[in-house]
Amino acid sequence: MINQILLDSVNLHYLSAAFKERSIKALIGRVFDINSTKERVQDIHALKNISLRIDPGERVGLLGSNGAGKSTFLKMIAGLYPTSSGSRIVNGTIRALFDLSLGFEPDASGRENILYRGLLLGLSPKEIKNLEEEIITFTDIGEFIDYPLKTYSAGMQVRLAFAISTAVHGDILLLDEVIGVGDLQFLEKAKARISKIVERSEILILASHDLTALSSICSRGIVLDHGNLVFDSNIDEAINFYKNRNITV
Amino acid sequence: MNYIKNIWITRYFWINLALSDIRSKWRRSFFGVLWTIIQPLGMTILLSVVFSKIFNTDATSYAPYILSGMIVWEFITQALMSGSMSFIQADAYIKQYKTPLAIYTLRAILTNLITLLLASISLITWALITNPQNFNYSWFAAFLIYPILLLISWPLSTILAYLTARFRDIPYALTLALQAVWFISPVYIQDTVFRSSGLNSLIDYNPIYHLLEIVRAPILRGSFPTIENFTYCIIVIGIFFLTAFLCGRQLERKVIFYL
Repeated sequence: MINQILLDSVNLHYLSAAFKERSIKALIGRVFDINSTKERVQDIHALKNISLRIDPGERVGLLGSNGAGKSTFLKMIAGLYPTSSGSRIVNGTIRALFDLSLGFEPDASGRENILYRGLLLGLSPKEIKNLEEEIITFTDIGEFIDYPLKTYSAGMQVRLAFAISTAVHGDILLLDEVIGVGDLQFLEKAKARISKIVERSEILILASHDLTALSSICSRGIVLDHGNLVFDSNIDEAINFYKNRNITV
Repeated sequence: MNYIKNIWITRYFWINLALSDIRSKWRRSFFGVLWTIIQPLGMTILLSVVFSKIFNTDATSYAPYILSGMIVWEFITQALMSGSMSFIQADAYIKQYKTPLAIYTLRAILTNLITLLLASISLITWALITNPQNFNYSWFAAFLIYPILLLISWPLSTILAYLTARFRDIPYALTLALQAVWFISPVYIQDTVFRSSGLNSLIDYNPIYHLLEIVRAPILRGSFPTIENFTYCIIVIGIFFLTAFLCGRQLERKVIFYL
């Protein structure tokens, strides 16, 4: 089976029920507030009628202002968010780097967390043992690796998360603004590592505001605006389109 | 089917997390995991002294009854409470990786099952010392309590976890509901007390009673649990699994929005 992403008129709504006040306080408030002109919270239409096809070997850059739907788009591809209509076909194992510092066990040591994270990524304990030394060397946090994770600084957590998540290979790589992590020294290492895993993966989708990084890594560019796919061409044209659009608005 | 396969694929993950939960629970305590044995034993001595006075029974024969009720009931409450919170607790994982959500409740159940396993040592030791004549083949049947409890509490806590993601009131309501069930079930109070008050239906149709009989018949009386006891458990398991399946079909994919 070839690794491929096929989207056909995909729509995605965030359920308003999830962030509407559901307490009894709010309920009573509503009863006494019948003539309220306050707008009722609606479901958010986060992705609107998106159709596209990504073939093996493509490096796609995702552009768009904050709130345009970039992260939602990536999480939809990853299968985290359910689509409300349309069809989504994704062939290939997905490796995603989203909120890096999340998902650690605070009481467990760094070493144990490498194990858990790796297991979650679908590795066996044996495979992780083989990767462990390499990950620890890369994070460069020395003896802290045997300390509980709650003693780590935010930067150290990100390093560890980054090292684990990038140690594992996947067919489809989804990156969401992960390059700007850690100190300067780590940044260089991280960039080198990303370009390495980018080479190894068949399909890459990278959401970023770093236009130079985008044009050097990606070949194709997609611009999102308020959940609409407004432009899809090669990366340089997409960057131009995105720049011009921001000037006119 | 795919769902079950994915639970199997991620098995190392949830097994290791359950073990880590156990470790972190007893980290930095002197007696450590021994507390799972000391705690019910201490409570049992306390309660059997008081209850034997109230109900006018012999404390030494009453104590294993209380102990058996206590460790099973403790498992049920802990498993359901931690199970119902397990999606909320695992939100960081759920938001990053697509896995079957039931592995997070399974993690909670497994943690509590290991605790139960350790706690049962106290019951077995106690029963062997005070009533060694009860030790026979029927004890094999008592060990069926572990798979039965797993199969009951896993789907039930998964249902609760789905609901808790949506309505955060569930843990509070659950505490109340469990208290209510405890009161009408022969957990500490002997079934004969219920029967003598004419409350037979609270025993005969109570799944908790039948569940406890699977342990109590062999360990306390040296006899096999009845077919009826097992039937009740199997029916309950069936109902919970079906409900969990139906809930999951509706809610599994939406949980991420509520976290």
